[in-house]
Amino acid sequence: MKHFILFITVVFVGLFIAVINKAPDENKPQESTPILRIFGYASFTGQWGPGPGLKEIFEKDCGCQVQYIEGSDSGVLLQRLKIEGESLGADLVVGLDQFDLQKALAEQKWRELNISGLDVYDEVKPALQNNYFVPFDWGVLAFVIRKNELTQIPHSLDDLLLPELKRKIVIEDPRTSSPGMQFLYWVIRTKGEDEGFKYIQKTMEQVHSYAPTWSAAYGLFTKKQAKTALSYVTSPLYHQIEEKNNDFIALEFTEGHPLQYEFMGIPEFCKNCELAEKFVNLILSDAGQKLIMQKNYMFPIIKNVKEGTPFADVPHFKTLNDFQIPSAQEVERFLKKWSEIRRGEGN
Amino acid sequence: MLVAFFESVKYVGHLLPISFLRVFLGYYYLQQALMKFKGDFLTRPRIADQIAEWLPASHAPNWYKLFMSSQIIPHWQSVAFIIVGLEFAIAISYIAGYVVRPVALLGVLLCFNMLFFSGPMSEDLYKTFLAIHFIMAWVGAGRCLGFDYYFFKRRRGIWW
Repeated sequence: MKHFILFITVVFVGLFIAVINKAPDENKPQESTPILRIFGYASFTGQWGPGPGLKEIFEKDCGCQVQYIEGSDSGVLLQRLKIEGESLGADLVVGLDQFDLQKALAEQKWRELNISGLDVYDEVKPALQNNYFVPFDWGVLAFVIRKNELTQIPHSLDDLLLPELKRKIVIEDPRTSSPGMQFLYWVIRTKGEDEGFKYIQKTMEQVHSYAPTWSAAYGLFTKKQAKTALSYVTSPLYHQIEEKNNDFIALEFTEGHPLQYEFMGIPEFCKNCELAEKFVNLILSDAGQKLIMQKNYMFPIIKNVKEGTPFADVPHFKTLNDFQIPSAQEVERFLKKWSEIRRGEGN
Repeated sequence: MLVAFFESVKYVGHLLPISFLRVFLGYYYLQQALMKFKGDFLTRPRIADQIAEWLPASHAPNWYKLFMSSQIIPHWQSVAFIIVGLEFAIAISYIAGYVVRPVALLGVLLCFNMLFFSGPMSEDLYKTFLAIHFIMAWVGAGRCLGFDYYFFKRRRGIWW
């Protein structure tokens, strides 16, 4: 025992000394080029996302360097922002969705953005209600299937309870993923809270897994672990363009589909705030919007950007009409109830 | 001591395959610890992010989640230091075969916690590591090709 205590002490003291000696390296002199730090989710900042393209365009003229700080999914951006706060060093946050806005406003201070005069699609207008966040793309959520795999095509939320789909549906976890929260709120809005949670209880039997992120969920679906996954109406287009595969279709449900908007905002503690504003303008420019549309497979908010592209031909699904943002307390209550149901299942 | 180190192969040679596994695992932990030490694991709240990201989705009991959110996340710097320290301790101990039994129990404890906040992608890895640490502690894996044999020969007892 004496040896063990001595050993552990030596290791930790050694590490402590090493950390202290390493610390001065952290205070390296700042380079003269200003650095714009953008905090976004992985599919925005990663090599397949619009991030690298936007960075390239921006760096041509700004005389600065763009650095991305990656968060795994839009659902965890706020959590990280709350934990790290100013030490995160973000000048711009990209990828918050409508469920995050109330919480974001409550937890952080944000700079006002001048977003007047934007010529946006009608579906986007309700999302321009506050001065702190501006949407940069939007999408319609829908379940995606492979053609000819199901004998009975679901046309409503209730059809997801078909025996054929038992343990064959992948939905994102609403606690960690924005589309997962969208699904939960979709059910509550269309069925009412009590009936909605009864429905959620029934879907527990049908769900293969509640994936922590959209990419994990869609990965399970494309690897044929599941027959359908909650994704976007534009997902089949991705397979058509990138893989020349026409086997995927998005299902239209009678209830009307939820809309998801992705927002960006500049935190009050930004260091290069002007550069951040310029980057916001780039994202809202035609070039920026086109890049986001092509890389994110989401609709642009600025009118006429998608016209003449395959995105214009994506079928128009009936959507939930009014734009509602639940309060942070409501979201918390829904998630608590959802978690209770999930635990009851013991999965 | 050095004689005992090699002599162990002769007397507890049946543990030799386990010793290779031990050294391999030690090397893995050394890599992990060095990566964390050289990177920003100790200076940025990576561990707090990880906990915040995965803990809600884990199957951990509620009291554990509450404890992690209220106590561990705010003190992420100490937690990061402890994790790196434990990884270095496991690495050195396993490679040298010194105080393997108690250190393996620390390994069990570390893996058990990592299971809850490392996300589904690493869950299987940590489950496997947990079993390996447990076996290391059970068989006393430091007795073969390790300095534990020297102490085991002289002192016996459960710690070697």
